Parts: sequence; C-alpha cells; structure tokens
Amino acid sequence: MVVSGALMGLVYALIAYGFQLTFATSKSINFGQGELVMLSAFFSLSLLNWGVPYWLMIPGGLLFGVVLGLVVERACVRLTLEQKSEGWILLTIIFGLLGFSAAENIWGRDDRPFPTPIPTEAMQFFGVSITPLEISVAVGVLAVMGVIELFKRKTLLGKAFEAVSADRDAAELMGISARHTIMLSYGLSGLVAAMAGILISPITTVGPTMATALILKAFAVAVVAGLDSGFGVVLVGIFLGALESLTSFYLGSGWREAPGLILLIMALAVRPNGVFGKASIRKV
Amino acid sequence: MLKRLLFIRGAELIALAILATIPLTVSNTYVLGLLTLLAIYGILLIGLDVTVGYLGQVNLAHAAFLGLGAYAAGLSVSLLGFGMLGALAVSMAIGLILGGLLAFPALRLEGPQFALATLSFSALSTTVLNEWEGLTMGAQGLSITRPELFGFSLKAQGFYWLCLVLLVLVWLAMRNLLSSQWGRAFEALRDSPIATDAMGVGTYRHKVAGFAFGSSLGGLAGGLYAFNFQYLQPQSFTYDLMVILLLGVVLGGRKSLWGAFFGATLIVLLPNLLSNRLLFEIISGLGLLLAIFAGAQGLKNKTTQPFQAIAPVIAMGMLVVGGYMVENTENWRKAIFALMLFSVVVGLPDGVMGFTARYLTRLFRIAPPDLPPASALDEVLPAQQADSKPMLELKNLKRYFGGVKAVDGISMTVRTGHIHGLIGPNGSGKSTAVNVISGLYAPTSGDILLQGKSLPKGSLFKVARTGVSRTFQNLQLFGELSALDNVMLALKGVYRSPLPLVLLGFARAEEKRAQADALALLELVGLQHMARVHARDLTYGSQRFLEIARALACKPKLLILDEPAAGLAHPDVNVLVDIIKRIHQRGVTIILIEHHMDVVSTLCDVVTVLDGGLVIAEGTTEEVKRNPLVIKAYLGIADDTDVPDVIPAVI
Repeated sequence: MVVSGALMGLVYALIAYGFQLTFATSKSINFGQGELVMLSAFFSLSLLNWGVPYWLMIPGGLLFGVVLGLVVERACVRLTLEQKSEGWILLTIIFGLLGFSAAENIWGRDDRPFPTPIPTEAMQFFGVSITPLEISVAVGVLAVMGVIELFKRKTLLGKAFEAVSADRDAAELMGISARHTIMLSYGLSGLVAAMAGILISPITTVGPTMATALILKAFAVAVVAGLDSGFGVVLVGIFLGALESLTSFYLGSGWREAPGLILLIMALAVRPNGVFGKASIRKV
Repeated sequence: MLKRLLFIRGAELIALAILATIPLTVSNTYVLGLLTLLAIYGILLIGLDVTVGYLGQVNLAHAAFLGLGAYAAGLSVSLLGFGMLGALAVSMAIGLILGGLLAFPALRLEGPQFALATLSFSALSTTVLNEWEGLTMGAQGLSITRPELFGFSLKAQGFYWLCLVLLVLVWLAMRNLLSSQWGRAFEALRDSPIATDAMGVGTYRHKVAGFAFGSSLGGLAGGLYAFNFQYLQPQSFTYDLMVILLLGVVLGGRKSLWGAFFGATLIVLLPNLLSNRLLFEIISGLGLLLAIFAGAQGLKNKTTQPFQAIAPVIAMGMLVVGGYMVENTENWRKAIFALMLFSVVVGLPDGVMGFTARYLTRLFRIAPPDLPPASALDEVLPAQQADSKPMLELKNLKRYFGGVKAVDGISMTVRTGHIHGLIGPNGSGKSTAVNVISGLYAPTSGDILLQGKSLPKGSLFKVARTGVSRTFQNLQLFGELSALDNVMLALKGVYRSPLPLVLLGFARAEEKRAQADALALLELVGLQHMARVHARDLTYGSQRFLEIARALACKPKLLILDEPAAGLAHPDVNVLVDIIKRIHQRGVTIILIEHHMDVVSTLCDVVTVLDGGLVIAEGTTEEVKRNPLVIKAYLGIADDTDVPDVIPAVI
C-alpha cells in the first residue's frame, strides 16, 4: 500500500517537474496545468475510441499536450511577462477554467475507464503486492524526465534552455532568443502534463475533475522541493505519495488531501525556497 | 472644495439613498434577496480588493474565509446561543485570526508561491468543513436560525438594512484606512518593498495586517451570508466561487471601492443574465463592442500592444458565436466567466471602473485639497550635537557571497557630525559594505556598533528603526506616489494612532501634521513646488533629491548617501552639494559614497578608501589623494613608474 502510494507520488513529481521547466526559463508556472493533464487524457481516450492503436495514441496525446502548452504560453503568459507583471497567474487560472468547462460539455461530466494493454493483476515482490500498471507509471515518469534532462544537457537547444534559466539577459545578449526558449519550455511542460495524463488515467479513470486533487499535490511537491531543484521533486513526490496512503488508511479517505496541503504551508513557513531550493540574494 | 464634496461624496450619498429606499417602494421578495446579496458581496469584495488590489497578490483563499466565517457565525448561534452582533463579531474574529495565521508564512513569499499557499489553504478548509462532521454536519449541510438583534427578530427587510449599514461602515472604514499612512504603505510596498523596509515602515507587517484585515471582512460577509441563507454546505465555498469573486474584483476595477461595488452587482446579476437567452446575447454583444472600441482606442493612442487589443475581441467574439451555437448557456457558465475575465484582464487591466474613472477625471478636474503651511525645520529635524564621538564603528566586518569576498574585514569609525567619504574603484566593496550596514545583507562575520550599541543585523526595517537611513544608488522611489507622499510615508514619530482609531477616522489631525512636516523636508531639498507631482514624473535630478528628503524623514542619526551624484548634470551636482551642506549643519552624521572627487573633497572631513574588500587608506582628502596605494588601486600603475601626484577629479 505504501509502495503503491509512493508510485502515485511519482506522478505528482512528474507534474511538478512540468512546473519547474517553465519556472526555470520564465519564473512563471501554469496554474491550469491540471486541466492540461485532463484534456490530454480525454483527447487520448478519444483517439483510442476512434480506433488508433495504443502505442500510436501515446505520441498523439503528447503532441496534443505540446500544442496546449504553446497556446497557454501565447495567450496567457507572453504578454504579462513582457509587462513584468504577475498577470499570468490569473490568466492561466482562467485558461484552466475554460478548459474545464469545455471538457465538461464536450466529453461529459462522468468518469470513464481508460483501457490499457498492461495487465492489472497484482504480483508479489518480497511480500509487497504491486501491479504491472503501477510499475509502468514509475517507468514512464522516470523515462520522460530522464529524456528531457538528457536533452537539456546534450543538445544545443537544451544548452540554450539552461542558459536562459541561468541568466535570461546574458543569454539574450549571446543571441539566444528567450522568447523561443520560453515557448519550448511551455511546450515541454505540456508534453509532461500529457504524459502524466496518459500514465495515470488507467488507474484513476478519466473525468473533468480527475486532475483537481492531483494538481494541488503537484503544487505541494513543487513548492516543498523548491521550484528550481531538479530531481528533488522525485524524492518529495515519493514521500508525499507514501504519506497520503498512510493518512487515508489511519484517518479515512476524506483526509487524504490534507497532508500535502499542510506540508505545503509548513514548507513555506520554514523554508520558503524549498527543501532542495537555493536562497536568492536581493539586489538593489 | 465644494465641487469635491459635490461630486465624490454626492455620488456615494445618492447611491446609498437609492439602495436604502428601494425596499420601501418595491415589495418583491426576489428583489430584496438580490439587494441583500449585493450588500454582502460588496463587503466581501472590498475585503478581497485589499489583497488583490492594494497588496497586488493573487489571493485564492477569500472564498474559504467566507465559508469559515459563515460556519463560525452559525455555530456560535446554535452551540453558544450568541445574538446577531456577537455572532458577526465571532465570524470577523475567525477571519482575522485565521487570515493572520495564514499570512505569516504565506506572505514571506511573492506571486506564485503565495497564490499556491492560499489555494492550499482553501482546499484544506473545505476538507475540514466536509470531514469534521460532528461539528459541521459535513456534506449534509448545516441549518441555521437567524438570531435576534437587540431582542428584535429581523425580517427580510430589516436584515437587508442591517447588511446595508454594515456595508456603509466597511466603506467608510476602508476610505479612512486608505487615506492614512496605511494606504500609502500599501502603495509603497508594491512599488519597492526594499525601500519600504529601508524607510522603517515594514513591508511584511503591513502585508500581514492588510491580509488579515481583508480576511476579517471576508469572515464578516460570511456571517451575513449564513444568516441570509440559513443553510450552509461546504461545497458552496470552493474554487468555483473564488473564481467568480476574482471576476468581480477584476472586472469592477482593482483598488477602488466603487469597483468592488460594481463587481458585486455583476456577480449578483450574473445567474439571471445567463439564464435569460436574450439578455445574454445583449450582454455578450455589448462586450464585443466594448472590446472593439477599447482595442481600437488603445491602438490609435499606441498605449496597447496589438495582442492586448486583438485577444479580447477574439474572446468576446467566441462568446457571441458560442452563444448562438450551444443549446444551454447555463452549462457553459464557467467558460463564459473565463472568456469575460480573460478579456478584462488582458484588455482593461484597470477594470470597468478604472476605465470610466479615467474619462470622468478628464471631464471634471477636481483640485486636491490645499496643503497646510510647512512646519519649521527645527521641529522636523532638530539640530543634533556634533561632538565627534564615535557614531558608527565597524569591527572586522566581512561579507562573502559564496567564494567572492566582497567585504573582507573592514574596520572603520565614523564620528558624530562628520561627513565621512567612502571611495574606491568599482567592485571594491563600497556598496556591499553599505548594504550590510543598512541591513539588506547580514554580515558573514564582524560587528557593527551604532553609538556603542550593536546594530541589528540583516534587517533593513530594524536598522532603519534604530536611526540609520539611506538612499539607493539605483533609485528606489515609490513611483506611483506623489513627492509629498514619498516623504510622508517615511516620516518617523508622527503616526501614533492605532489601527482601530484610523479605521474610525481619528487620524486626520496626524495627517495634517505629517503633510506640514513633509513639506518642510521638501523645502530643504528645493522640491516644495513639486509636492503633488508623481515621483515617476519628476526629472532625474529631482528624483535623487527626493530620495534624500525621504531618507531624512526617518530622522536619522546616520545618513548613508549611496552615489547621490551619479548621473547628475553639473548644475544639479552643485545643488546636491548645497543640500548635503545644509543637512550637515543640522548635525546629521553622513556617510558619502561617491565617485566625483571634487564633491568628496569639498564635503568630506574624513575619507576611507576601499579596494578588494579591504581598507587601503584613511585620512583627509588631501592625504588620501597622495597615498601611493590609492593611486595604484585607481590607476593600476606600478609604484616605481612616473606617477601623477594626485588622482584625477572624476573617476
């Protein structure tokens, strides 16, 4: 039980990783990220229903996520970043609301099952019961994060990404377009969200509200770990997932959301930059 | 003066008169219900505007405070048998206390993290209201009976008047608050939190107090909400409601009481607008026209970017087209909110009221009230004794940034009444030293003594309170405030009224006194005629002088001027020298960081030269100029070559 909770925690970590990607380049995050997860999951389900085979559906769903990420960047983020305001917080919330309403009306309010070729019978490892599906979630999460990290470190475009994260102005002076890099980060963040949606849907079913609880916990993971901490999110995600399983076991499932929220507020009180984050220096 | 009363107070009185008399003429219970809700939401949105508008933070917890206040009021009636006023006081107190508790950790952060913390708080409070079934009846809902007010049981009409009276009181309290030091502090901390701290005003404590105050209004509205509906469910106070409240504040216009009121009207009428097809089409059509009009205006005047003009038109266009395509607009409620909010946030950042207010102020020019005569400078800045005792002592002060030893063991003494120059080439550690002294950075090691007592470390606010005041190399003025307000904000020892008295409007005498004192300081730097001009509209030179006046308003024992002549034209440099001389005559001890050697040699009694984070020379200007180490530091010339005997006038 604790183990499967921890594996769920990896999904929180994956979504939190999406926040880190955009935060690194633009110091902004998409408050409607949960709706991106949900919309991509719905779209992928529709692809399956149209007869697209499972392994082709995955790139289709990911592409959809990338497109949504780019739309968010264009419609909600770019203008306010140019104005150096925090209007993007409100605008991305608004985008999420629009996406939610659209999903409700296009796909309906009911939760639907998401078929998967991966078996769901539990297996026993050293007395721990675990399903192949849960293992596939863990593998998927780590694979996506690994590929993106490799991309950032090994390719020229990825180096540009790192350069903008480190110092946006200096990168611009070196001829790197910050705007394109921010677009790239939002695209990648959309891809990550879509991946999270595809991975988790077989377990949680697909519905308009599937991501509301998920996203709060991803926020908690991102803030507790620090929005610039890299792999810190994985550790915090696993920890939170395990903690949640224990809470719902001992206090009842209604309290399941509580530890993440309390953890978030406490982390802000004790370490505002996150457990793995760096303190920033104020300048005048 | 009369014109002012007529237009500003007149509009308020007329609106109040209409609202108060409607129930006498219309006996429709539905209309009465809407009006009651309008008053409640008015209070709620005024509270939300404190954080969203004045503090400039996205607050997602206000709906939760409404809910918590509502439950607190309901439970204090059913469990404790409280009367109406007692229950409302409880709901306000709940908002105030929980708001304060949330604000302490959350407001140490800016922007996204703050929004996240408030989002978590509201999710957490919904969870608690749902799961604590023994107290709240959970999802079943809680029934409440409306308690008596002074022994009278209120019918719908009486309850409406109660809500209206409370709205008026909140309105007046808010107006008093905003026209006091608090209002200025709210404005200042958005412009420059660092300068707000450095002027001894305290960014953090004002934010926390503002947030707690706004939340207490949320709680109060919650109490009224509970007694209005007499039935509560946790689901009523979730994220959906929060988005609607934000819609109200943003659409109505941030930082405006009228904006909050307009937003409340809109929220109350929205369900009706959406259920009636024809009304919806009219509204969306009007919205589209407004978007096109405002967009075209903005493009013509070149005040907006193309995206800002086009995006709202597209959004409103989607609303109009969508309105024809979908069967039931009610189902698309959230999408409709989203499109409307999007258009307003992008196209009309000041909201509808901000937009109209701009036109109204152009139509009716209303002169601001007259200023009082300036106080005598002796009262504002009493002459201090210049006895040459040590004022500031640095003892082996160090500050490292990672491996960079910006300040590497400075020891120096600044004597009372002196102008002490601090010079050195770029990167020699002057600015870091000053930033450590003034509390922006905590020292890595070493001691700072002010008149023999240890100075607080790493807190601009505490250091400013102890009597050290500073200006900034890169100007940190409050651009949105007038020159007068900039100085008034920093005035020390004038504002003594506690918050409750301020809310009741008893701080006006103080305000007059502060204006007079601030004028005296503006006179000292020659800006008395610019008192009403926004700081951002002043010339560069005047902005530098205004920073000095503002720093003096803290009534410092020690004034640190960080490159005050940087970028000044020559005539302005002469004015600056005069100003510094005048301040010197009042006996204020001054540390002057400067690159203009002629300014330094005219003014300074003692000069300390830094290089590489260390003191390399100290003495009078003449002594220092001939010191070979100093010449080497500035010009990089080896000792044995032909050295000029003084360093050039301007480095």
